[in-house]
Amino acid sequence: MPGPDLLSSQGLRLDGRRPNELRRIKCKLGVFTQPDGSAYLEQGNTKVLAAVYGPHQAAKSKSSTDGVVVNCQYSTATFSTGERKNRPRGDRKSQEMSMHLRQALTAAIKTELYPRSQIDIYVEVLQADGGAYCAGVNAATLALIDAGIPLRAYACACSASMAWRAGQPEPLLDVGHVEEAAGGVVLTVAALPNTGSIALLEMSHRLHMDYFDVVLSRAMQGCRDIEIILDRAVRDHLAEGWTKQDIVTI
Amino acid sequence: MPLDYRRFNGPEDSVSYKRFTKDYLKSYSELYNNLIDEKGRRKDGRALEEARSMCMFFARTDMVSQAKGSAYIELKKTKAVCSVFDPREIPHQNEFSQLGQLFCEVKFAPFSCPNQRRTHAPDADEKALSVALRQALEPTVCRHLFPNYQIDVFVYILENDGSCLAAAINAAGLALANAAVPMYDIITACSVAVIGEKMFVDPTEAEEHLAMMTPEKEGTNHGIITMSMLSELKQVSDFTQIGSMDTDCVTKAIEILEKECENIVPNIQKVLVLNVVQCIEQRKQLEEEAKEREQALNAKMEEWKQLLNSG
Amino acid sequence: MAGLLLSETEKVFILHGVQDDYRSDGRSNIDYRPMELETDVVSHASGSARLRLANTDILVGVKTEIDVPKPDKPDSGRIEFFVDCSANATPEFEGRGGEQLASSISNLMQRAYHSSQAFNLKQLCIFEGKQCWKLYIDILILECGGNLCDAVSLAVKAALFNTRIPFVKAALMDGGNVDLQLSDDPYDSKLLDVGSAPLLVTLCKIGENCVVDPSAEEESCSVISLIVGVTGNRQYYTQEEETDKKTMEGKCTTIAMHGPGSVAPKTLKEAINQGIIAAKSLDEALGQALLRERQENIGFKKHSYGFLK
Repeated sequence: MPGPDLLSSQGLRLDGRRPNELRRIKCKLGVFTQPDGSAYLEQGNTKVLAAVYGPHQAAKSKSSTDGVVVNCQYSTATFSTGERKNRPRGDRKSQEMSMHLRQALTAAIKTELYPRSQIDIYVEVLQADGGAYCAGVNAATLALIDAGIPLRAYACACSASMAWRAGQPEPLLDVGHVEEAAGGVVLTVAALPNTGSIALLEMSHRLHMDYFDVVLSRAMQGCRDIEIILDRAVRDHLAEGWTKQDIVTI
Repeated sequence: MPLDYRRFNGPEDSVSYKRFTKDYLKSYSELYNNLIDEKGRRKDGRALEEARSMCMFFARTDMVSQAKGSAYIELKKTKAVCSVFDPREIPHQNEFSQLGQLFCEVKFAPFSCPNQRRTHAPDADEKALSVALRQALEPTVCRHLFPNYQIDVFVYILENDGSCLAAAINAAGLALANAAVPMYDIITACSVAVIGEKMFVDPTEAEEHLAMMTPEKEGTNHGIITMSMLSELKQVSDFTQIGSMDTDCVTKAIEILEKECENIVPNIQKVLVLNVVQCIEQRKQLEEEAKEREQALNAKMEEWKQLLNSG
Repeated sequence: MAGLLLSETEKVFILHGVQDDYRSDGRSNIDYRPMELETDVVSHASGSARLRLANTDILVGVKTEIDVPKPDKPDSGRIEFFVDCSANATPEFEGRGGEQLASSISNLMQRAYHSSQAFNLKQLCIFEGKQCWKLYIDILILECGGNLCDAVSLAVKAALFNTRIPFVKAALMDGGNVDLQLSDDPYDSKLLDVGSAPLLVTLCKIGENCVVDPSAEEESCSVISLIVGVTGNRQYYTQEEETDKKTMEGKCTTIAMHGPGSVAPKTLKEAINQGIIAAKSLDEALGQALLRERQENIGFKKHSYGFLK
């Protein structure tokens, strides 16, 4: 099955990455003051903002005695894509993404700690260049940590695709927009790498059963890599916070 | 965008035939000369600073029988109907609001505008007018008297020949008074179109159109100002300006509009007083009729009593 | 805004501060809060800017599309404002909650840019009567900390200043169709003349005085605010010395009132004058900042911060 030509003869991808390489991730916690927690994350050219409000009293209709209600909204800025979008949210795609976000993040949050409460998570995609959902999950995790909400583990999301090099299958990590548009398979995984569990798995296009494991393990590897990056960002942020506070007290 | 299946809509890319007429292709200066003659009189014979309210103002209340209060205003060709409904609980609201709310909606009749047909769905223009109307009315209504309730104000513009916002505000003020909504003051509004040095008070549609167009000479003032006032309290409740003009021009326009708004007050008062007088007369008449009926009844009773007694 | 609760005494405190021309954050009544501005932050847009005015955060992206001009203005382009209130700002904006605020701001901007003396749409013309550029100005409100209108207008002007429109060669083919040829070189583009684009100044009436740049707390103390749109001065946006004195003075392009209160005519006049003065200094500062950034961009000295700062 000859897939689209995503790898060069040297084994490099269209944007010059190696197959198992992530795009550069830059992130910052606490970009806003009004939300309880916020984070900004750049994954290559994909830029995402996330804000968290809560936990606060849940709306009557949603309230549940078992655990906290996680309310997610995924919206894309009208100028984020190459072609202008007419609506930032409310369309089918955004609604689906909101649902997926909720699924991934509910798995990470210790929901049983806050019965009859609600946590609002808003993700705003400022620039979409492939993998906006993954960046959204990663940013939301950081925002949740910034808000001080207890998590089971980091929720990390990563995508993977499949390419062929010299007749050998070669899974690609962290799919960019060009690779997405080329029409290959895209497997999106949201996982809690620390516990080894998968929170959400979604795949588009078709993939032979035999190769599924290879692609999945590549995506999981990506999630683990991302976790390390996020963890470092959180530690740096906290360290910075401590030093700043020290200066104030002196 | 959901399609409107209930009404028959014209093809989307159709244009008005008026685009191809001679009138449409007139240049700026031609249009300008059309508006005003050598003697400085406007097309309809008014002087520049003469509002239509002075000569061709017609207003009445009790237009719509279903509404609590209603009014109809006619400024020559600009015609607007307003109806005000009883306060009702604010729908879809959980929190208690200390002050009552006003819900305003301005709607153009499909046939109201000379150039284009108005669609059924509210367009940006109508929404902007609705917001301006609410802004103008809010300071005049004693909103603290009906907390957690809203009053609906609907304005329907039957014909638009300029100054429709001013007409809408005037009509809404009358209708609110007619509905016996407590108010601080009578609200009046007027607009002025600025073209260069000239100020057209209470402009017609053609004058407004020209005022919004780009003047030929760079840097000349143009635009439209609408102001609504509570004359007795000397307060401006809404002020909207669009176009481009310097401060002197704005200041001058404010003075003119202030005077003009005051001029409208007696007209509105007259209508309201007339309304009250009519009401009193009506009641008197009703009472008299009732009295007559009672007398007739009493006479009949007497008759029967006599019949009974005699029989 | 979000969960802002002020007690009666706090309001009185703010009111007294305004009376003594010394506001609670140390400003006088005519001072603005510190601002951060960066252009060219979104690569998918033709022009973009992010403005942070204390707690108010605005991101503006300008996208260009080719469209047919309006039949009554065949030689001008089109401009459309779209405001999106992100739920990041406050949970109240979730779903369709921010639509009312968004439409009122976009309406105000549309009106402010209506006059050709504010923004000349003729520069967007490609082929008269057939093709023109349409500018979509998408405004994303990420955080509300008071004084949205001013921040939006500043960010929009900066984004327009940053906007590049590709050169297009248009030729009329038979059958009335227009043939467009776009250059392959992305740098083969023109900048817009935005020097005269209007800035909005909000004057918030607190007690007997009007203050510029109200914070969210101050806004909640006021029943009425006046928004004045004032044209900018081209002089501040070019390096060349222009001697055209005629365009020096700022003109009002829109005036609107916002809030349930009312004002006396005298206050109105004073506030308009105050607004024009404020707009002038704001315009000058914006022009300087934008020119400086462009200079740095040419010399590749600029470091891009985005949201990572």
